[in-house]
Amino acid sequence: MIKFILIVNKLGQTRLAQYYTTGLSINKRVALENEITRRCLSRKDKECSFLEFRDLKVIYRRYASLFFLVGVDEEENELGILEFIHCLVETLDRYFENVCELDLMFNIDKAYMILDEMALNGNIIETNKKNIIAPLHIIDQVSKKLK
Amino acid sequence: MSMQVRDLIKAVRGCKTQQKIREVITRESALIRNSFRKEDKINRPRNIYKLIYIHMLGFPSEFGQLECLKLIASPSYIGKRIGYLGLSILVKENQEVLFMSTNIIRNDLSSEDRYIVGLALAALGNIGSSEMLRDLAPEIEKLMESESSYLKKKATLVAIRTIRLVPESVDRFIGKVRTLIGEKNHGVVLTGLQLVLSIVKTEPETIVKFRKLVPGLVRMLKSLINSGYSSEYDFRGTADPFLQYNILRLLRYLGEGSKKSSKLMADILTQVGTSGGITKNVEIAILYEAVLTILSIESDSKLRVTAINTLSRFLSGRHNNSKYVALNTLLKAVNTEPKSLKRHRKVIVECLKDQDISIRRRALDLVFGIMDKQNVESLTQELLDCLPKAENEFRYDITAKICTAIEKFPPNDKWQIDTLIKVLTIGGQYIRDDVSSMMTSVIGRNPDLQYYTSKKLFNILLNDRYRNQTFLQVSSWVIGEYGDILMQKSEKDGELITTTQALDLFQILLESSRTTDGTKYYILTALIKFSTRIEGHDELIKKIIKPYREHVNVELQQRACEFFLLFDYSEIRDPILDRMPVFVEKEIELEIEEEISENNNKGMNYNLQENTHTIQNQINNIQNIQNIPNVQNTQNTEMNELLMLNTDTKKTQTQNKQDSLNFLKEIFNGSSSSNTNNMNNMNNNMNNNMNNNMNNNMNNNGGQDLGLDLGLGLGLGLGLGMNNQSQRQNQNKMQMQKQQNQNQTINQNKNQNQNQRQVQNQSQNKSQNQNQNQNQSKVQNQPIIVYEKNGMKIEMNFKVGNIRGAPAVMSIIKTTNSSPLLISNYLLQVAVPKTLKAQLSQPSGQNIPPNGNGSINQQLQIIKMVNQKTQLAILLRINYVINGQKIVENKEVSNIPIIF
Repeated sequence: MIKFILIVNKLGQTRLAQYYTTGLSINKRVALENEITRRCLSRKDKECSFLEFRDLKVIYRRYASLFFLVGVDEEENELGILEFIHCLVETLDRYFENVCELDLMFNIDKAYMILDEMALNGNIIETNKKNIIAPLHIIDQVSKKLK
Repeated sequence: MSMQVRDLIKAVRGCKTQQKIREVITRESALIRNSFRKEDKINRPRNIYKLIYIHMLGFPSEFGQLECLKLIASPSYIGKRIGYLGLSILVKENQEVLFMSTNIIRNDLSSEDRYIVGLALAALGNIGSSEMLRDLAPEIEKLMESESSYLKKKATLVAIRTIRLVPESVDRFIGKVRTLIGEKNHGVVLTGLQLVLSIVKTEPETIVKFRKLVPGLVRMLKSLINSGYSSEYDFRGTADPFLQYNILRLLRYLGEGSKKSSKLMADILTQVGTSGGITKNVEIAILYEAVLTILSIESDSKLRVTAINTLSRFLSGRHNNSKYVALNTLLKAVNTEPKSLKRHRKVIVECLKDQDISIRRRALDLVFGIMDKQNVESLTQELLDCLPKAENEFRYDITAKICTAIEKFPPNDKWQIDTLIKVLTIGGQYIRDDVSSMMTSVIGRNPDLQYYTSKKLFNILLNDRYRNQTFLQVSSWVIGEYGDILMQKSEKDGELITTTQALDLFQILLESSRTTDGTKYYILTALIKFSTRIEGHDELIKKIIKPYREHVNVELQQRACEFFLLFDYSEIRDPILDRMPVFVEKEIELEIEEEISENNNKGMNYNLQENTHTIQNQINNIQNIQNIPNVQNTQNTEMNELLMLNTDTKKTQTQNKQDSLNFLKEIFNGSSSSNTNNMNNMNNNMNNNMNNNMNNNMNNNGGQDLGLDLGLGLGLGLGLGMNNQSQRQNQNKMQMQKQQNQNQTINQNKNQNQNQRQVQNQSQNKSQNQNQNQNQSKVQNQPIIVYEKNGMKIEMNFKVGNIRGAPAVMSIIKTTNSSPLLISNYLLQVAVPKTLKAQLSQPSGQNIPPNGNGSINQQLQIIKMVNQKTQLAILLRINYVINGQKIVENKEVSNIPIIF
């Protein structure tokens, strides 16, 4: 099961955070993000994409200036999660057309929606890019009409 | 007026310091709060949006929680969308506000717009609390049957959350599984599989039911693998990997513990395990999941070997990620598949040189995991090779593992010493603390190696004085302790090691600024030991020690002063600095001994309390109390061995049965005794105990008979093996006792009769079946008089046990002198057959005072070197002086009834 998904930039600033667990106060959350990000950023390219953090496995992958971090429990398939991260990036890419940090910052609601279409409650739900993006396109059309 | 979202983000991005960001956020938060107070409906979505951003930056946002509720209650989709987003991010931790949203969500779940339903489901799936989910379960159940697969998969995931938070609701969803898995839409099937997984985890009993799904799942997996390219769910040439590995994971749960289901999936697993390439991450992910499944279910050995081979392929690949998961999995398989793992030694060792520390660390664990007596030498060498290149932190791990390996699987002591020296020299300061004590104990018990080791250490020191401190400490201790042996033997060998050279070396080390005070303690002690080991260098040693009497370090100063004064008291100096006694490793048996006496006491109490029904029992109890202490005193060690025999059965038995067993052990001790007086006592005791136990058993519970019978059978069987006469006596006594019982206890007598007959039969059978060797080896413990002449008597007792994993016999040799003359210069030497190895400790003295006023004790350990049954035989050479006459005598001890 996925416990959290984080997107951070090179400087370690959080750009998107989704937690599938409860009981995390805001201070604890900030501390946790800082610690994981610090550890991830300090790793070299040649090292593997997994690190152990408390009782979680953290799988991370870097795409240009963004780091995608996913925390999972013991049972989850690390390599599968890597594939999931890749799928997430491809989907964001398709929707935002070459996604960058600013796209996420200015359209955080859309980013969350995409994530919610792909994973819910820590489980992967949909991995087909077309299916994921379909509802977003509808929203965009409706908003255009409203304007 | 508050600013646009875009402007806020820009403003924050423009801030140079954290302080500036805080200012911007505080100002904006105040504006948002104002706007909320004014019930500004138009700007509400925008404000929540901003709060989401503020929250992400780690600033407080609680004041917006109620506004989220207002937003989701609004009719517009745009408002709802932001509202639900706010709900799942801002309100997540606030259960009360969340609960207030239940009714709004209920309304939205029944909305006609499927995207609104989707929003509500997504929020529920991410943040729904147990109360909310319990309330909304009927709606969720209904939505799982919806026609739209978009809603179906989301509802299913909400169901998973419901099961996790409200486990009793699981029954509601079990029936939905089959249709979900049968769907065409991959998303729905995927969530369906995950639903089954969560049901199975919550209610493990349902596994049996779900095993029916196995053939369908296997078919599904097969079609996915064979379909090749499918445009809809293609991931770089692999069809829906997520579906594939979720099927594999579910199969793992269903196959565990069921041979039949495991067999059904064997073919497809073989296909997955052997066909996939290992170049792309997707392929590896599926292979990895398949391997996990193969190793978890009841696969045959061939399939398991395939799985291990696949992992080995990962290890030799280029991807660090796959290496990492492979090592992790292999670590889990170390205990179940040791043989096939060992075949991949080379690849695993190669991973020790990987650039990634997390891979190296796992490889190290794995190398240690596959270590055994056969490969310990080569693997330790590999570890030693890695040592110089490793980072400091990792070095510590490596040396720790090497040391454990040295302790656990030593092929021989010389190797042990050589490796320890290597670790000491290469490992530097990154060494476990107990290395030095391990080293000293190995040298101590091997007189042959004392010269070898001290010479080796001396030469290393001579060539490179500035080694690490641990090395200096160990080597100064060894050279000091065995200085005399070093000097004598090196002279014979023509080596150029002289005492002055050694003293010079110590002096240089003492004066060196690189030597820490801690090491200097060792060197000073080595110096003072030298003064007693080798004569004629006192002045030089004094000269070296002298300046340290005024050293700034108090501890060092004290030592120097004390040592310096010792020169004036040569009569106490020698005994103080005498050679260290051999360090004997603690034996596990000691613990068992304690345990047994504890149990005996319990047993006694038990009998005392419970068996007051008949007069017969009372009499028995009295006899018990009288007899048992005797047994305990005289035959304490025998009980050990018996307990060791019984440890397996012991665990599973209840207290009551344990007590019965323990009693029988005592009885057995008696029957094996050669002392007839004692034996009669024992036989009495045995019968009494037996009656006691039987009565007990019958009083309490018939179901416990098994434990009793077992105990009796064992006790008697061993006794019989030892001594046929005692068996006959036992039987006679038992029959007599039986008759008595028949007369006295009328109520119980039928049962008892049967029981006793049963016991008799069983004991006879067992005694016949018992392996005689076993009986003999475990039992003998009475001291044997091996030598008696001129008033001198040597007694030996034997105890079978284990030393560092090898079967061994421990013996205590006690020499007494009953003659009126003093025996002096006593020296005992021991020889054993080549298949055994004997180690004799230093005697507790050289002289034995006359008239039995003292004794010399020595410990002998005999370790079996070859894995075959050996009859223990010992050749003793006894040297001593009595009445001014020097006597040397050889004596063969072959009547030891131990085969091991």
